[in-house]
Amino acid sequence: MTDEANNTTGRKILCIEDEHFIAELYTRALSKAGYQIEVVTDGQQALVAAQTNNYDIILLDLMVPNLTGIEILRALRDPARVPKIKSKIIITTNLEQRDDIRADIEKQADGYLVKAEITPHELVEFVNTVQ
Amino acid sequence: MNHLEKLQSHIRQHIFMMVFLENILLVGLWWASITYTDIDPFILLAASLVISLLLSVIIMYVNASYIMQPVKALWQAILHLSPTDHTVAAPKIEDLKVGRELVTTLTAQIYQLANTAEHAVQEGQQKTTDISNNFVAQNLPLPLFVLDDAQTIKFANEAAAKYIGIAATELIGKNVYMVLDMSFPSEDTFDTWLKDVKINSATATKSWERVRMTVRDNHPTLLFDLAGYYNRNNPQKLETMLVLFDHTSQYSQDDQAVSFMALSVHELRTPLTMMRGYIEVLDDELKGKIDPELEGFILKMRSISEQLTAFVNNILNVARIDNDQLELQLQEENWQNILSGSVEMLKLRAKVRGIELEYNVAPDLPAVGVDRLSITEVINNLVDNAIKYSGTGKTIKIDAHVTTDGLIETTIQDLGLGISTSVMPNLFTKFYRDHRNRAQIGGTGLGLYLSKAIVTAHGGSLWVRSKEGQGSTFGFTLLPYSKLTEELKQSGNQEITRGAHGWIKNHSLYRR
Repeated sequence: MTDEANNTTGRKILCIEDEHFIAELYTRALSKAGYQIEVVTDGQQALVAAQTNNYDIILLDLMVPNLTGIEILRALRDPARVPKIKSKIIITTNLEQRDDIRADIEKQADGYLVKAEITPHELVEFVNTVQ
Repeated sequence: MNHLEKLQSHIRQHIFMMVFLENILLVGLWWASITYTDIDPFILLAASLVISLLLSVIIMYVNASYIMQPVKALWQAILHLSPTDHTVAAPKIEDLKVGRELVTTLTAQIYQLANTAEHAVQEGQQKTTDISNNFVAQNLPLPLFVLDDAQTIKFANEAAAKYIGIAATELIGKNVYMVLDMSFPSEDTFDTWLKDVKINSATATKSWERVRMTVRDNHPTLLFDLAGYYNRNNPQKLETMLVLFDHTSQYSQDDQAVSFMALSVHELRTPLTMMRGYIEVLDDELKGKIDPELEGFILKMRSISEQLTAFVNNILNVARIDNDQLELQLQEENWQNILSGSVEMLKLRAKVRGIELEYNVAPDLPAVGVDRLSITEVINNLVDNAIKYSGTGKTIKIDAHVTTDGLIETTIQDLGLGISTSVMPNLFTKFYRDHRNRAQIGGTGLGLYLSKAIVTAHGGSLWVRSKEGQGSTFGFTLLPYSKLTEELKQSGNQEITRGAHGWIKNHSLYRR
């Protein structure tokens, strides 16, 4: 238990989520688990924040205003980008994708979660496994 | 008089002069001998014959080389131009003593002919090797790529360069797979086709629909149909041709068109996410601090929200089945783990209705080949039905064992209302619900329809046994993984993809 606490303490998470209630729930659960969490609701701002390379993990909603999550993902995972974004990217969405599109997204990300399928606790459990 | 006649008369004169001189010489010698000497006339005749023979030999040699001069010059000229023999020098026409005019004219003709022939060959080569000068290839208003036997791009027309936004000069010489990163909607890809035709066909054509290609990052994905042509016997080794038919705007509209279903699902899921989240917070924070009745209410809310989540998944899966899009990835799984995990999740739903789940799994069940997510939904639906139709205070028995046929059978038995024989045939029909209890018991009539489709796609069967008033038993069979491994070996893959209506070829792109 202490090991896990040490691991998570101070790990920084950027939560890109425009639904305030969901952001509130995730912030509560993740900060209780020892993470530092920052929420951005706008796609453009999210990209700027993500590019600072300050985060260990990015939770990325696919439906955010101004830039789609897919555009953000593509920009962050651009192989030509210098320096590389070291953050792990976990897609959190309630959108139903066509299978091939979903596979495409999953290939570029480090995790893919359907928000309605998980509770905040289960999100924390998942994030704990992402190293 | 032309050059040939001139040469002929020149040679005639030459031969005449030589023979005439020889005869004069012989006659002169003979006359001198009989006038000034008294040599025996027989010896004289013999001497004359010898001298005549010697002179003939001299004349033969002198004349032959003299007459042959123009022929030799022409021989030199022809060999000089020969593409295979480069040792012969050009003839020195100015040194010719005979037939100079004729040789000059003829060598000029030879050089001209050779020149024309060479030009024709070059032109022919250009026509076949340098398709960049080919009007049709270059100006075809469709992107065209031509590959050699090593899949190196040998030609890309203007439309191709423009379409993918890379200059043709940068494309040529590169491997096609390095430049065109194409994804196909099935495992039937350009690559597999080309590998196959290279072995099995002299010529072949094929087309693909809805091919996706990301050219560069930040460059929108291109969507197109693709036509391929293969010819093993092309002399320049330009074996393969690719033509692209752009449908980016049309196909991406399809892609982006969030169907009514997908949109509804999203709109349902978002409040569900929040509800489940807040209920969890309440459950965490209030547990043990409030009236047990209120705690029970929170549990009920949690159970109901889980049920709603399951329902949303049911709608999605029914839509998938109806559009023939349900695809399963069958993998080796421990059935006991899956079943107990699902039953644990369902215990809450049973508990809030005062129902107990009794769970009995035979030891040493063989591994099953299942798609975990889908088969979990089957368990959910069947147990959920049992909970709904059981009535309060009852027990539901869940049992898993191996049948005499070596199949893994799971049964869910309730002691509820039971099903009348009259409605049995409609039980697995979409939206069908038993009219007797429609008012009392909620439901959509999707669960059994969905479960049957999923179990069938797994290669198993779903059955029901029921007597009105005595409850119902639903059961389904699954294949042990060992039976699936035969199929795995044949497909050469790590997992098996199956559709709701039978087999679907293996490929990596489709995932649930």
